[in-house]
Amino acid sequence: MNPLKGIITIPRNIFIQLMLAAVLMGVAVIGQSYLIVIIVDRIFLQGNPFAAVIPLLGILLGMLVLRVGVTYWNGRLGTSLAARVKQDLRQALVAKYTRNSVESMLEGQSGQKVSILMDSVDEMDSYYSQYLPKVIQTSIVPLMVLIAAFSYDWVTGLVMMITAPFIPLFYIVIGIMTQKRADTQLEKMNAFSGTFLDTLQGLTTLKLFGRAKAQQDVIERSSLDFRDATLTVLKLAFLSSLMLEFISMLSMGMIALEVSLRLILFQSITFVPAFLMLVLAPEYYLALKEMGAAFHTGRGSVAAAKQIAAELTEDDRSVAFGRTELPAARPPRIELKDVAFSYRDARFAMEQLNLTIEPYQKVALIGRSGAGKSTVLQLLAGLADPQDGQLLLDGQDRQTITESSWFSQLSYISQHPYLYAGTLADNIAIGELREASRPAIEQAASDAGLTELIAQLPNGLDTVIGEGGRGLSGGEKQRVALARAFLKRPNVILFDEPTTGLDVKTERLLQEAMTVLGREATVITVAHRLHTIEQSDQIVVLEAGRIVDRGTHEELLGRESEYAMMRAVQRGEETR
Amino acid sequence: MKELMGIFRLMLHQKRDIVLSIIFGVLAGITAVGLFAASGFLISKAALLPPIQTLAVLIALQKISSLTRAVSRYAERYYSHRATFTILSDLRTTFYKRLEPLVPGIFAKYRSGDLLARIVGDVESLQNTFLRVVYPPIILVLVFLCTIFFVSFFSLSVALVLVFGLILTGFIIPGWFAYREQRFARSVRARRGELSTEVTELFQGYRDLKIYQQLGNKEAELNAVAARYVAEEKRNGLHAVSNLALNTLATLVISWIVLGLGAYLVADGQLDGVFLALLVMTSLTVFENAAPMAILPGFFEDSRHAARRLDDVVEATTAPEYRPFELAQAPELSTEHVTFTFPGQDRPVLRDVSVTFPAGSKTAIVGASGSGKSTLLQLLLRMYPADGIRIEGTPGQEINPEALWKQSNVVLQQNHFFYGTIRDNLKLASSEATDEQMIEALEHVGLSLLELDDRVLEKGENLSGGEKQRLAIARIFLRQTPLYLLDEPTSSVDALTEQTILQHLFARAADATLLLVSHRLAGLETMDQIVVMEQGQVVEVGTYADLMAKQGAFYALKQVEQSVFTPDQLVR
Repeated sequence: MNPLKGIITIPRNIFIQLMLAAVLMGVAVIGQSYLIVIIVDRIFLQGNPFAAVIPLLGILLGMLVLRVGVTYWNGRLGTSLAARVKQDLRQALVAKYTRNSVESMLEGQSGQKVSILMDSVDEMDSYYSQYLPKVIQTSIVPLMVLIAAFSYDWVTGLVMMITAPFIPLFYIVIGIMTQKRADTQLEKMNAFSGTFLDTLQGLTTLKLFGRAKAQQDVIERSSLDFRDATLTVLKLAFLSSLMLEFISMLSMGMIALEVSLRLILFQSITFVPAFLMLVLAPEYYLALKEMGAAFHTGRGSVAAAKQIAAELTEDDRSVAFGRTELPAARPPRIELKDVAFSYRDARFAMEQLNLTIEPYQKVALIGRSGAGKSTVLQLLAGLADPQDGQLLLDGQDRQTITESSWFSQLSYISQHPYLYAGTLADNIAIGELREASRPAIEQAASDAGLTELIAQLPNGLDTVIGEGGRGLSGGEKQRVALARAFLKRPNVILFDEPTTGLDVKTERLLQEAMTVLGREATVITVAHRLHTIEQSDQIVVLEAGRIVDRGTHEELLGRESEYAMMRAVQRGEETR
Repeated sequence: MKELMGIFRLMLHQKRDIVLSIIFGVLAGITAVGLFAASGFLISKAALLPPIQTLAVLIALQKISSLTRAVSRYAERYYSHRATFTILSDLRTTFYKRLEPLVPGIFAKYRSGDLLARIVGDVESLQNTFLRVVYPPIILVLVFLCTIFFVSFFSLSVALVLVFGLILTGFIIPGWFAYREQRFARSVRARRGELSTEVTELFQGYRDLKIYQQLGNKEAELNAVAARYVAEEKRNGLHAVSNLALNTLATLVISWIVLGLGAYLVADGQLDGVFLALLVMTSLTVFENAAPMAILPGFFEDSRHAARRLDDVVEATTAPEYRPFELAQAPELSTEHVTFTFPGQDRPVLRDVSVTFPAGSKTAIVGASGSGKSTLLQLLLRMYPADGIRIEGTPGQEINPEALWKQSNVVLQQNHFFYGTIRDNLKLASSEATDEQMIEALEHVGLSLLELDDRVLEKGENLSGGEKQRLAIARIFLRQTPLYLLDEPTSSVDALTEQTILQHLFARAADATLLLVSHRLAGLETMDQIVVMEQGQVVEVGTYADLMAKQGAFYALKQVEQSVFTPDQLVR
């Protein structure tokens, strides 16, 4: 029933403790009932003085304390187990995610992954803290009660045994009968309950068109429809508990009838076993009903468990590295050799990709969106592994090189640099740059054109910039990324050029910075700027995952290439 | 408690269902007590070998009460849940009524998109207030009172013990735990927030973390934060476990006292022994009604928290009274020394902006992203309050925003589309629009492929960015107004389609005042004026020819734009 079987193993000793708790619970339940019966019998029928039952009352109090103690212990075990499982699951998921390559992290919705890590894991709580202990308890306690009943009065035992299967049976039958109706209602419920959020989200639009007031009726109507749909489902659930109530009530009534008739008419039973049966019966049926309810709780967690299991068992798409150090004296010669790569959702498949980049070369990757420019950049960066073929660095397979020696000579400047919660200085001196001296950081900041911003900030370089770098504009974030590069002085720079929206100053700054940094480095750019493209040593034109052309600006213009055509159209538009 | 006054008031609207559920709830409670008391009495009586008729009556009584109990329980559940969901519906509409006047101004304060999801969640958690917080004590007290009344016929002292039990399990223990719950719940929420931030950071910064080889550190940090959250949750869980255990202990000990006291009274001759079993069974059963009290503190705290957060959002703001505002023809708009900072931010988005948009003029506002173009447009629209705005000479503060919007055609960067059909979404703009008019509007934005009956999913998620923009423009083609305010209406539309759409737009708006925030600088030659913004300030105003001749900020922007290679825009 639990898809996480095999992923999460529950320690044996916790299982044993849960069983032990269940057995003790059974002892406490039976002991409590027995002692109450005996005390009533002594006082009522045998006319003993009060003093005679005081020791029994003492033992009874002990039993009650034991019962509560076991309840507490059981709850503790469940809560601790749930805490442990949640922590293990999160750790496993995070380990899985951090092992994965960048492309598979960026692929698909990261929102969904966040929700699995947060909500789905939280939803597993009730499974381990409620369901599991309950199932163990409700499968042991009724059994013990049944044995106790049999040993005192086999007739009642028999009644209990015969009626017991009806309870789970009814649960299953009613469940099957109502599932389909419940499902159709559930869809309706989702649609109705979404209306409120949908309306709130569109409130600005509604107000601009003067429709906000009218929408109130829509909310009311859909909420009432939601109520009716929900009640239809709930009525089914209530009906099933009504039936269960009937069954347990009938059974208990049967027991009461049977023992009292035998007590009076046939006198084949005495007061003590008769009363004991009467006290044990509710405990027995209550436990059975709880088992049904527990299954209900358990079912709720299954969907979440499935999601987590699917995430954990998905194939790893990690990027392999090796043990050879890559010398850092100068940029390596970078070579993609017969590289193949495709995405899981298969927008295109890259095949037979070959590209050589000499040290200090300036390379521009161009093409329409979706042509595979970013993918090539990820492959070159070692953020994704080719599914076939190799990335060679100075003739050595990248997979044989150490991760740190490669990444420490690489800078990747994207349109959305990551800024973490911390001071601006910390954000510039990220990673292995942490050792950098204060003057070096200040120099890097000024090289990246951050001086003006720093002067505006209340604590200068030591101003804390918010989570995700809130409070900085897009251009300012880009400059922080540049400052990182100035501090790092990388051998290889990968640069995803912004398409629009940068202010003129940042634009100029980026260009200058790239020129300065490019003196000591190989620069590979996903290029949107004519300036970058025209000055490249090599322009690589991509289309649907293939390299359709390459050469310098002059070479490409000189022949009837895709590039020449695109340039012509661009010119045409500018002059129109 | 005062936070919950609003929801209490809503509960009063559901009197009928609430009264019915209380009646059936109490009935179910006392028949259960009666049932078990009867079986205790039955067996005691049986032991004394009574005539069989007595027994038959007792057994019949027992059957009737068990039937009554099961049926009442069903009715109780039905009515209490119906009340709950009707209250939810009322909650939504009342909250909507309070929130509606504050939009969109409120989004200046809460810019995060999850504000709305939070509101929905909080409203939903308030629905539990009735069923889990208010209802259980009522049933508990009523069933107890009936039982105590019944027991007092047999023994006053046992009745007194039950009174004590009621106070202990119904009020003292839950009250104490509710008090402690406050602190726990708050720290669990805080820790969850921390974890959520860490997780989001991991995903957003994944590439940079990898290249700077910080993934290991981040993973360790995240696991530590997760452990803190789980530990806090565990503490909270253990707190609930001990609450439950303590409550159970109290009920069991009370029943124990009843047994001991009863035994003493019987032995002492003050009570007939045949009632002893009855009293014990009664006590054991009546405390079943105290079980929901164990989870009450948690729900109470949730409700209070939700109510407080909702109140914070719609904090007592009264809508001001406005004089009627009519735009006879194209208005003149102007700003004088407008400076604007979003609440909670330290840097102003607009600084000392003074600009005039003459009646009937066509103005383009251009500049880098983040330069304040959209904010300027939104302030002119009175979406957020600001000083220094004038429309036809009337100060902005005196103009009813809703009256202004009614007479404007607005396209924002984010336009909402509702779950429904294309027709539903177009009719928002004009309920009188005929199918022919709507089809024509769709044609003008190049969406004639769409049928009016085509389905639109929530937030228009089955439409592409360009389709959404074009649909938003189609909406304003259904209305004729003297004022057009457009914020990058065609940024995701290809150049050729953009041109045809804008042509039609300008033809329709020939007599209107029009402001167009533009992401592109091409095609602005015919505008009456171009306003160039940079870092929240207006740096240049003039016609295309003026600005190009001046070789200033606009010219520089133009240079940048021309340097961008855009194969997507060109070949499609």
